Amino acid sequence: MKLTIPDAFGRASPARAPRHGAVRFILRLWRKSSIAGLAVYVLALGALLGLASADWATSGGYPFGGVQVGSWTAWPRAGAANADPYTRAVNARRGEIPLAVGEGLLLTAAVDDSGQALDATCTYRIGGATPPARAWTVTVAGRGPREPGRAPLREGFTSTEVLRAADGRFAIMLAPDVQPGNWLPSPRASGPVRLALRLYDTPVAASVGALDRNSVPAITRLGCAP
Amino acid sequence: MRPVSLRFVYATLIGLVLAGIVHVAAVLAIPALSETDAVSRARTSENLDHPQSIYTVATGDDPSPAEAWLPIPDPAVAVGVCAYNLADGPMRVSARTGALSLSLAAHGRRGAFYAVTDQAAVRGALDLVILTRAQYDEALADDDENDPSRDVRIVAPDTRGFVVVRVIASLPSQRPAANAAVQAVSCTTDTPADDTATGKDASGKGTGR
Repeated sequence: MKLTIPDAFGRASPARAPRHGAVRFILRLWRKSSIAGLAVYVLALGALLGLASADWATSGGYPFGGVQVGSWTAWPRAGAANADPYTRAVNARRGEIPLAVGEGLLLTAAVDDSGQALDATCTYRIGGATPPARAWTVTVAGRGPREPGRAPLREGFTSTEVLRAADGRFAIMLAPDVQPGNWLPSPRASGPVRLALRLYDTPVAASVGALDRNSVPAITRLGCAP
Repeated sequence: MRPVSLRFVYATLIGLVLAGIVHVAAVLAIPALSETDAVSRARTSENLDHPQSIYTVATGDDPSPAEAWLPIPDPAVAVGVCAYNLADGPMRVSARTGALSLSLAAHGRRGAFYAVTDQAAVRGALDLVILTRAQYDEALADDDENDPSRDVRIVAPDTRGFVVVRVIASLPSQRPAANAAVQAVSCTTDTPADDTATGKDASGKGTGR
């Protein structure tokens, strides 16, 4: 049984060993004490895989806790004291101060109503109703730094300044070119776009499950520049 | 050949289990070890008696300054933080309500534990006192029965944390006022000696209005 180990590596080592002294050293170490080699392998695998996966899970957005409402995702527990450990870790790494349940609710959207990713070259109509709230803002929250040459025209609309139709509904046009009405310029020439809808002082923060597709603004793709 | 590969498979399985343990431990440890989290970054404002602006909304041609460390700030909301260290005494946050909607939220290491908006203000004033359980019991014992304190008392889960002040500028013309409203909030540490004095002062002001 013991003999099989040097046998297996004895066959493999002549091919590899002449290249690196370190490899030859490790192989010799392995042949001498396979238990120690296995222990090093186990520890390295555990540490590398564990740390890499923890970094991956907490480096982007919140991995869990989102509630899908239409094309929007609500994050009701992002700022709560009983948030899950991943959300807390993401907040800690980014220095984020999330909205508390009594303050408001954050909803984000990265896709339109047909499920396609939001793109800066396309024109979208964001319109309809919003859940009850004292104030809300719709903002573009694209990742990455702003382009230096691009003048910051407008980053979002608040519930007070948005132009509304006679029935109180509104339509915001997210487009790269000037549009009549509520024009929200695309944040960059090309690339993905994210939208954030923040509801301030809203009763729905405590009952996100009651929200449905018709109570949040619809995101409709109207066309794309070629 | 077979024993080697079997041993190797076992080692890989143990390695994966170990990776899972390391993953969970790392995720749980990140909030405690992080030096870029909001509690650590807000600590520089501990000695101020007004909120430290961490996001001032752009006014006119002035863009938002670079001091902002919020990753995705709302461009219409001015944000300030007051850090507290309850070892120095209870923290008193006083805000006067104005035309703009204002909200206060108290955060500890684990997240927000209390939030209130200006709709809860009594006669235009919003007074929060954040204290530890021991300081709360002391304040209750010191209360004058004939003149009960009108402060909102909140027991904090840890001694360190911060209070976030958010003021919404609904219109671009309200942005300078929103920045000013954040700075107008006062965050002071109640030292044990003048605790009752400031309490009386605040309630006297309240009745006078």
